[in-house]
Amino acid sequence: MLKRVGAIAAVAAAFAVVVSTSAWGSAKAPARSAAASKSIKCGKVRTIGVAAPLTGPASSIGVQQLHWAQYFVKRWNKAKANKNQQIKIVQGDTQLGVDTAFAVKVAHSFASNSKMLAVVGPAGSQEVVASTSTYKGGGLGWVSGSATRTTLTDGHTDGNRNGFFFRTVPNDSVQAPAVAKYMTGTLKWKRVYIIDDQETYSQGLADGVQKILQAKGVSVTRNSISQQASDFSSVIAKIPANTQGVYIPWQLAPQAQAFGQQLKAAGKSHSALFGSDGLFSPDWKIAGSYDSFFPVNTSDATVQGFVKSHGGDGQYFGAPSYVAAQVDTLAITKACKAGHGKTSRAAVRKVIAKTKLKSSILGFPVSFAKGGDIHSPASFGIYQIQKNGSFKRVG
Amino acid sequence: MIATPQPRLGSLGGQYRHRLGSFGGLGIALVVWALYAVYFSPTQGWTFFLQLSVNGIILGSIYALIALGYSMVYGILKLLNFAHGDVYMIGSFIGFGILTLFGGALTPVMPVVLLVLIMFVVAMLGSGVLGVAIERFAYRPLRNAPRIAPLISALGVAFFLENSALLLFGAQYRNYDGYDLISYNGIHLGGDAGVFVSYLGVIVISSAVALMVALVCLVRWTRFGKAMRAVSFDREAAAMMGIDPDRVIAKTFFAGSALAGAAGVMFGLLFSQIYYLIGFLAGLKGFTAAVVGGIGSIPGAMLGGLLVGLVESWATGYLNGNVSDLVVFGILIAFMLIRPTGLLGSPALQKV
Repeated sequence: MLKRVGAIAAVAAAFAVVVSTSAWGSAKAPARSAAASKSIKCGKVRTIGVAAPLTGPASSIGVQQLHWAQYFVKRWNKAKANKNQQIKIVQGDTQLGVDTAFAVKVAHSFASNSKMLAVVGPAGSQEVVASTSTYKGGGLGWVSGSATRTTLTDGHTDGNRNGFFFRTVPNDSVQAPAVAKYMTGTLKWKRVYIIDDQETYSQGLADGVQKILQAKGVSVTRNSISQQASDFSSVIAKIPANTQGVYIPWQLAPQAQAFGQQLKAAGKSHSALFGSDGLFSPDWKIAGSYDSFFPVNTSDATVQGFVKSHGGDGQYFGAPSYVAAQVDTLAITKACKAGHGKTSRAAVRKVIAKTKLKSSILGFPVSFAKGGDIHSPASFGIYQIQKNGSFKRVG
Repeated sequence: MIATPQPRLGSLGGQYRHRLGSFGGLGIALVVWALYAVYFSPTQGWTFFLQLSVNGIILGSIYALIALGYSMVYGILKLLNFAHGDVYMIGSFIGFGILTLFGGALTPVMPVVLLVLIMFVVAMLGSGVLGVAIERFAYRPLRNAPRIAPLISALGVAFFLENSALLLFGAQYRNYDGYDLISYNGIHLGGDAGVFVSYLGVIVISSAVALMVALVCLVRWTRFGKAMRAVSFDREAAAMMGIDPDRVIAKTFFAGSALAGAAGVMFGLLFSQIYYLIGFLAGLKGFTAAVVGGIGSIPGAMLGGLLVGLVESWATGYLNGNVSDLVVFGILIAFMLIRPTGLLGSPALQKV
């Protein structure tokens, strides 16, 4: 009898928790909507957030994003004209590749920060999807410098974030053709093995490249391995000996490094590796491998200034985050001016959507389409890893 | 008298007749699977099957070492030490620390054989001491508490170790570069198109076998082994015979944790990347291996480890990387439902 009472009590308690949680969630929603239009005093120091993987398996790229955003802010704050409109960065560590819960936690802290006006990041497409409701609920606009999944901006597949989410990089519908074109046109590959890492970003890109390659008559075999995997031996055993290239559109460079080492140990290093923008990192250094990456105008004086101030290390993965910080800052400045020293997150978002940069360090102008994609993006570049671990542009 | 599933530590012999059925069934299942895989699966051929099997045995050797720790502790305390996977993680970090201290994989400052040996010894000692500390502070005070208490304590220790590692080592991946340290070469069985076993794989298998043989010898033929079996069988009676159960339990934790430390170094050398969460999944796989083999049974843990490694390798090779964990944990559930005593665990008689 006691057992039965206990069971009923447990079920009742669980039900109460579910109901109260739902009620709390629904009660919170209007409050968050109110946060979007809430008036914020601009003051002399305005706050933006930078959400990036500052620790964790993808930290090498996250730190680059932070460095570039900080570089922009440093330059901005240094200018005399901006003496009364300084920018302050609040950092958030999303630990890409560990758990999207970290990205959501960062989004919550940004959304609940009453001084926060706009956000740079997050880095990964799955992080964008996971944190959308929090950013939207908080009324914040956020500009990613690396989330390339095509469907993020179509307004329906992964949820609608139109008017809130923007990105300063071309999406995978541009990256996939560039990769496939290089594989078939320059490398003349006829047999390609594609392995995705089971994350939405990776699967989308792998699908795109596979479709184009097959349309061009290339023999493609597809496989999949968890982003948390360490033992690749069985997947490597499946790769046919006559495979010319292995395409790994992954996000974690250390994982790609381990894969490359195990591929070589299995005697299959004659199959060249081809990665995507997520692997453009010093942690991936398998010489001879290829990688697709965002365009960066290395002859730009600002870019050269960054390289000089960072001991010759370009950290180019973070360059689009410079532009994202630039977009946020310009929008905040304009919105504050229009509001005579006061603004709101909603007002900042509206200005972000209308932002137009005639030129950028990426080598092309920046303005946003309805979904948040940049207009007329340039193509991705193709790089090859050299013996010293550096990336050399080859296409 | 009724039969209840109470496997015994160090059950190395004497009950083989009961187990013939298990072995027979397992053997038939493996032969049927091998024939299907070789002749009927889309990816056919003996070479592929054998390559996956070799990969599975290498992986399984690591799981077996982890499973031994679970099994030893369960055998002696009837406790599922869920912190064991994180002891393995700490062992891998200790090994990495030694590697870095002596120049790293690319520029080692001493002969590689000596360096690897030091890595193993220090990682095993460090993990062993950690295991003893965990037993002393997290489990011993709960020795007479309800069984749920040490289980919750074990989970707490697991989280404590994970977060301590996060604070101490950061969340970054650390790369052993094991192949750069030892060699990318290996042995080709059956020519260049045959089965390939890297030297690193050979080192992992032989080290694991050596450690398992040493453990079996320890349990079978030493005073400590006898004491361990006695405490496992009846702690109170053992105490009355002059055995100090606390001492024996602490030593058991040391031995099990040292094996986990060795497994951590093997993992780092073989698969290169380590980070603070690697203990979670590896711990679950080790636990699965212990259950499949028969928790509490030392040979069972070894057999279970090899089986889990093989199944994971075959599942990845013949099906997809997506489903390998599904298959492995599916087997765990199947064993829990159909044969909770595992392959080599045997029901003990309990007076009621």
